[in-house]
Amino acid sequence: MMEQDGNNMRQLPQQTTKKKRDRIGMVLYVFYALLLIITVAVLFKLVYFQLIWEPEPKIASALTPQIQKRIVEPVRGNIIDCEGRLLAMSYPVYDIHMDCTVMKAEYAKMKNKEKGKMKEAEWQDKAQQLAAGLAEIVDGVDAARMYKQIKDGRANGRKYLSIAKGVDRSTMLKIKALPLYREGANRGGMIVETRNIRKYPYGRLARRTIGFVRDNQGLPEEEIKGNPGLEGRYDAILHGKDGREYLKQTDRGRVRNYDSSYVRAVDGKDLRTTLNIDYQDVADRALRERIDSLEDLNGACLVLMEVSTGAIRAMVNLSRDPHRGNSFEEITNFAIGRRCEPGSVFKTVTLLSVMSDGIYKSLDETLPTNHGIVKDTKMKQDIHILDWERENKTHEISILNGFKISSNYVFGTLAVQNYAKNPRQYVEKVYSYGLGDSFDFDLEGLLTPLIPDPKSKYWSNTTLGTMGFGYATEETPLHILTFYNAIANKGKMVKPYLVECIEKAGTVTDRRGPSVLNASICSRAIADTMTRALLSVTEDGTARRLKSAKCKVAGKTGTSFATFANGKYSDENGRRQYQGTFVGYFPAEDPQYSIICAVYSRPTRTSYQGGGIPAAAVKTLVDYVYTNDPRFRTKLPKK
Amino acid sequence: MEEKRKWKVSDIWKLLKNGIAAIVTGNLLLRLNAGKYFVHIAYTFLLFWILIFESLVADNVLSKVENNNGKIKEMEIIYADKTFEVASMSRRSAVQKRLEAMGSSVQEPTAQAIVIE
Repeated sequence: MMEQDGNNMRQLPQQTTKKKRDRIGMVLYVFYALLLIITVAVLFKLVYFQLIWEPEPKIASALTPQIQKRIVEPVRGNIIDCEGRLLAMSYPVYDIHMDCTVMKAEYAKMKNKEKGKMKEAEWQDKAQQLAAGLAEIVDGVDAARMYKQIKDGRANGRKYLSIAKGVDRSTMLKIKALPLYREGANRGGMIVETRNIRKYPYGRLARRTIGFVRDNQGLPEEEIKGNPGLEGRYDAILHGKDGREYLKQTDRGRVRNYDSSYVRAVDGKDLRTTLNIDYQDVADRALRERIDSLEDLNGACLVLMEVSTGAIRAMVNLSRDPHRGNSFEEITNFAIGRRCEPGSVFKTVTLLSVMSDGIYKSLDETLPTNHGIVKDTKMKQDIHILDWERENKTHEISILNGFKISSNYVFGTLAVQNYAKNPRQYVEKVYSYGLGDSFDFDLEGLLTPLIPDPKSKYWSNTTLGTMGFGYATEETPLHILTFYNAIANKGKMVKPYLVECIEKAGTVTDRRGPSVLNASICSRAIADTMTRALLSVTEDGTARRLKSAKCKVAGKTGTSFATFANGKYSDENGRRQYQGTFVGYFPAEDPQYSIICAVYSRPTRTSYQGGGIPAAAVKTLVDYVYTNDPRFRTKLPKK
Repeated sequence: MEEKRKWKVSDIWKLLKNGIAAIVTGNLLLRLNAGKYFVHIAYTFLLFWILIFESLVADNVLSKVENNNGKIKEMEIIYADKTFEVASMSRRSAVQKRLEAMGSSVQEPTAQAIVIE
């Protein structure tokens, strides 16, 4: 009974609703029915599209969202000098192209054919004005030829005609303002692409040291080996890491597809070098001024180094460039890559050796002149000693005077007399002075010196004697400078370096800096004695030109000859290939900088001595540095 | 003892018929007695709607990102251009030449600076 009552109660409201279907319910029901029909239609369409419909390939490709992979190029790090000035930077340039076909079809399809033709003629007229404008703005563009290219391109349906390559922003903006192009990409057909190139704000200054990189891209392994600049050596650090992203096409243009993987590009780090671009500029000018007009010279180098640290402040390498009218350009790094007999600058090695071994205690000790003939050897007579004998009416010469006049006899004798019984002792001395080995340098291509081995079959009766005054060995200018720098540094030999640190957004991530090659190649007292000897050369010897420098310079000149194919130091016409060198440090009383300058000649009869052009170029730089470097400022105490 | 089957094949047709009738009359959820889950179903629809909406918003934001990237790149280009110009002008010999061209008598110092301690 109870159950029956319950059923009746359930049926009662249903019947009531059915009967009293109100207006709102009806409207909602119609709305629901409509939605239902639409849903069913959509479902059917979906099934149809998914399983049955086969679109035209053209439509299919247009409807399918395209995913495009894009390599995100990292920003290549800058190379900066010791004061933070930019030496190499990434610089955007523009390549401008043209879609010659823009609006062509639209004009052709116009219902009013006359109007279409008129519009086309108008476009052609603007193209002519564009060509004329381009000829004014872009170097090497001929208006008539450019217009013909555009006209032909339009006729042949060319969509990518190159207009200008590698133009800077201001030029690009000027081009953008020209007739036709100012109407935008869709009507004017202008296509602008940006790419980064490497720019060097200081032009070709220190270019061999800084290096070179093409189009801002990382260098392949084989190219790094052939590129001895910092750009090549530190390519991995400067380049950073490429990123990767996928793009999809949307109604609002191309956007990154966030469903795909994304690899962020890691920008390259900056390289802070030890170079001081002001010193580099002055050194470059000092050398160019003296060698530019001399046809006989085909190369020169100059290196300025800080004594206490080995930081290279300037490194100039000039050689004749046949592609630039035979002018001097930074092509070959002579400072590290030219190895030849050093000549008289090596006499300092012999002098330091005999002093360090305690064979001589004073520079004023004398040797018999012996008419310039080194005893017990077949070495050639030193005729300059005959002049000395005649001028000074003596048959003795002090070591200091021998050094001052750069006597081959004196230093040949010092080597033979003291080391003939044990030549290995002398050779080991040379190695201990860092003149026999290469070291890890910041540039690729530092050559290893050649030092003869007393046990080898090439060691002859004259080898030791000639080594004594700078022949029979081969050294790079950087090795010679490192040795002199050690004397200036009171015996402590530091390694020359070019990279101070690696920075990321101004923060140091990897500090490089000074390192020691040999803690003591000689005692402080002997270093001071060497300075005295070297000072005598600039005050009263072969480098007198430096006497008038703004501070005292201690140094040594050297002149050597390259060997010809015939194995001799002169060719059949009696011409010689000179290498004139000056190496030293300043101020002599408290050395702060060491410096080397070398010039290289073609076969010539004109003499190029170390005391000539190299000493003169050194003087210019010494004067500049001494006047401008903050460490040499005169301090006036307060009253 | 074999258990008797409780349903007939014709029940499937009946079920379909009832289902379609329920859909047409809008009573499907009530018939399924899923009225108590209505909030959940509505919430699921809301989530779907939010998902689609967010996707559109993300596309919109990414297109803005692309536009702004273009603007930033333009700024960077201007910055690089100016930096290069300034750096080139700071070369010692370039400054000297400019001074000479302007008729200035300013020269490189000929003596060291004196610093008062």
